[in-house]
Amino acid sequence: MRFPSLLLFLLASSLLFTSCTKKTDEKGKTLYLAVSSQVKGMDPIYANDRYSGNEVARVYEGLLQYDYFRRPYTLAPNLAEAMPTVSEDGLTYTFKVLKGVVFQDDAAFPEGKGRELTAEDFVYSIKRLADPKLQGLGWWLLDGKIKGLNEWRNKYAELPKTDYEEEVEGLKALDRYTLQFKLSKPFPQFLYSLAMPFTYAVAREVVEKYGDEFLNHPVGTGPFAIRDGVFKQTKKIYYVKNPTFREKLYPCEGSEEFKEKGFLKDCGKKLPLVDRLEVNIIEENQPRWLNFEKGRVDFVAVPKDNFDSVIPDAKNLGNDYKEKKIELLISPALDITYIAFNHDLALFKNNKKLRRAMSLAYDIDEANKKFNNNQAIRAQSIVPPGIAGYMESYKSPYRGRGRKEDIEKAKKLLAEAGFPEGKGLPVITYDCPNNTVSRHQGEYFQLQMAKIGINVKVIQNPWPELQKKITTRNVMTYGIAWSADYPDAENFLQLIYGPNRAPGANGSGYDNPEFNKLFKVASVMQDGPERTALYEKMNRMAAEEVPWIFLVHRQSFVVKHGWLKNYISTDFEAGISQYFDVDKKLKKETLKKL
Amino acid sequence: MMNEQKSKSLWSHAWDSLISDKLTVLSMIIVVAYSLIAVTSALGLIAGDWSQEVGPSYAAPSSDYIFGLDIFGRSVFAKTIKGTEVAMSVGLVTGILTVIIGVFLGALAGYFGGKVDEVIVWFYTTFSSIPSIMLLVGICFIVGKGILAVYLSLGLTSWVSLCRLIRGEFIRHKDREYVQAATAIGGGDYRKIFKHILPNVLHIVIINFSLQFQVAIKSEVILSYLGLGVQGVPSWGTMINDAKLELARGNWWQLAAATAAMMIVVLAFNILGDSLRDALDPKLKGK
Repeated sequence: MRFPSLLLFLLASSLLFTSCTKKTDEKGKTLYLAVSSQVKGMDPIYANDRYSGNEVARVYEGLLQYDYFRRPYTLAPNLAEAMPTVSEDGLTYTFKVLKGVVFQDDAAFPEGKGRELTAEDFVYSIKRLADPKLQGLGWWLLDGKIKGLNEWRNKYAELPKTDYEEEVEGLKALDRYTLQFKLSKPFPQFLYSLAMPFTYAVAREVVEKYGDEFLNHPVGTGPFAIRDGVFKQTKKIYYVKNPTFREKLYPCEGSEEFKEKGFLKDCGKKLPLVDRLEVNIIEENQPRWLNFEKGRVDFVAVPKDNFDSVIPDAKNLGNDYKEKKIELLISPALDITYIAFNHDLALFKNNKKLRRAMSLAYDIDEANKKFNNNQAIRAQSIVPPGIAGYMESYKSPYRGRGRKEDIEKAKKLLAEAGFPEGKGLPVITYDCPNNTVSRHQGEYFQLQMAKIGINVKVIQNPWPELQKKITTRNVMTYGIAWSADYPDAENFLQLIYGPNRAPGANGSGYDNPEFNKLFKVASVMQDGPERTALYEKMNRMAAEEVPWIFLVHRQSFVVKHGWLKNYISTDFEAGISQYFDVDKKLKKETLKKL
Repeated sequence: MMNEQKSKSLWSHAWDSLISDKLTVLSMIIVVAYSLIAVTSALGLIAGDWSQEVGPSYAAPSSDYIFGLDIFGRSVFAKTIKGTEVAMSVGLVTGILTVIIGVFLGALAGYFGGKVDEVIVWFYTTFSSIPSIMLLVGICFIVGKGILAVYLSLGLTSWVSLCRLIRGEFIRHKDREYVQAATAIGGGDYRKIFKHILPNVLHIVIINFSLQFQVAIKSEVILSYLGLGVQGVPSWGTMINDAKLELARGNWWQLAAATAAMMIVVLAFNILGDSLRDALDPKLKGK
């Protein structure tokens, strides 16, 4: 009879939880954030999911960042003094690294005092991403792009130990503060990659001191430091303001829309604006929502099951929420949700008809109603609206919408594929994360496939486990989403570019020589109508080849409490918590009413 | 001619005492009813169409849809029945596994004593010191998620208490006169264990089995709730898991159906187990 006692324990710990967070009279300001997924760790080179990336970006920083107050998305210098100077052929980028930036204090440094950041740190950090021994999950980002880096990587793949001292031609510190990149071919998205957590600066001393445990010992230059210096892989992550953070000031310039709304009135204040962060990992929708309603979390996405009661007309908050000074932010997300096939399996690889049949059998309209409150945009192909390459009026011939003709066509294709009414097909497994909504999505897929006689089995996994299964190709199909790393269609198209196969970003392993050829051409082109035309061609190709079942492009519906200031919905969340502020007086008043 | 007064055996005594209590009879009827539902459902005679969409998403209970419908318009009633099949099968298989392992090891330890006893006692003490939920998760990772993992993990983690009891009983019985008599007429170890002592401790097995049954049902529900249980088939645990989202919409029926179904059978097994102990354990007689 051990289960009842386990339940008791859980109950008891939840009581503890409530009593801990009731304190509102603490000194300084604390942000309470909710994250919907487990975090893998705090090593930048492994932060290939949004949740880990966001945590990494609280402690670490990169050369560049997205200007939080500008739309369309614009890059701005962060650890660089200014945007780089670019040579005429577009291949050499020279950065000046900010002076006087120090790493957080840690025992790894002499006398425990964090030392100054130099250009050499970026050389080291980016080599680390390329280190064949470490299998960094962001290598796809720079693969084949920096002169000499691939050769360096290949050389040490054979040798027992990686030598970081060996110079790489395209990645050099010219002096203490000057960093120079030489690209092996034009790579228009290069600067975006320097704003991604993968390329953030780590200190060599720290990596060497902690070894394998470095994952849990984040020491960066960023606005926050992890409390007690150790990430404990628990459901709560505490951060404190980094006491040695440089003089980084709240920006005074931004897009008109944000100026008008008063987002810039904190202009000139020293960042970060709060003293502490408390990140709660709450995987299930309802507990996350209830914590928000009770004021224990500052902002949260509206769960689909509360949608009708929170946003009755799908545009505005219900009155009882308005009275509590809660605010709603609606914005389209640069993302796509999809069901991927594992193209390592001959079953899917050589069977376009099967893939098309499955895509046609999937009723996207009903799914949109069930899982997105009918607010998402049906995905026709891989590129989401809002970036060049998306085709407003294009309709994929293999986009199922539950109509009779869709099902008939699907059945016909399935028969042509050699599986009339599903006969001869094995049971197809579908892997998804470990929460109720994901399971429902799996069951929905199961029901859709049953319509044409295909048997699907749903398997749930913890999020890190699912990612591992995908990178080790241990799946048949899986449901997942991709959010843009940078606002360029290339970031979506590369997901089905053959050479990017897992452990790269192409988890499905789709490999089509014709597509690869087009991608190779487009990926080195500068922005312009020609590139857009190529993007559109590839986008159309993706729709017709059906490497995945494309589902929807979501819209984000975020609610926040009135006391949380300076929150703006963005697709690039790395580092934004440094701008947030809390109106403590308002919070105290509002909490009484909740 | 003298009338032969047949003396009553332990078993018929027990039966008499069981059926004299109305609550016990009711419990037995419930258990039989659940078993019948489980068997007919396993044979595909009922609830085979649980995965069919029969009406609109989240329709409330009404005369058309007795327990209401779930997110995909599937009948909650059919799912509850299919869940009964899962729960009862888990109870049965786990119970049998527990009995086989527990009785076998307990008998060996108790009967032979010495080194054998030491090894087995060491083994089950070590085994029971592993938190069972961790062991369950571990087994799930090895054999993969699904009903097999549930059978194995529950069966392999719940035999210790029965093993202890059987060992104790064997220690008590092995020096009794009837065992010595069996030895005297040349009975071997095997014969003494299975023919002589085991029938005399069987009541403990039966009581334990009926109690184990309901613990297994509850555990299955908890495992499925956590997403570690059966996959792709309805279980009361996954139904309760669904309810986490549904309650936000005010849909209570799936939660109600699953918990009611579970509560009734667990309560029935508990009452039955209690009555069985009263009826079968001579030491408790009259208390």
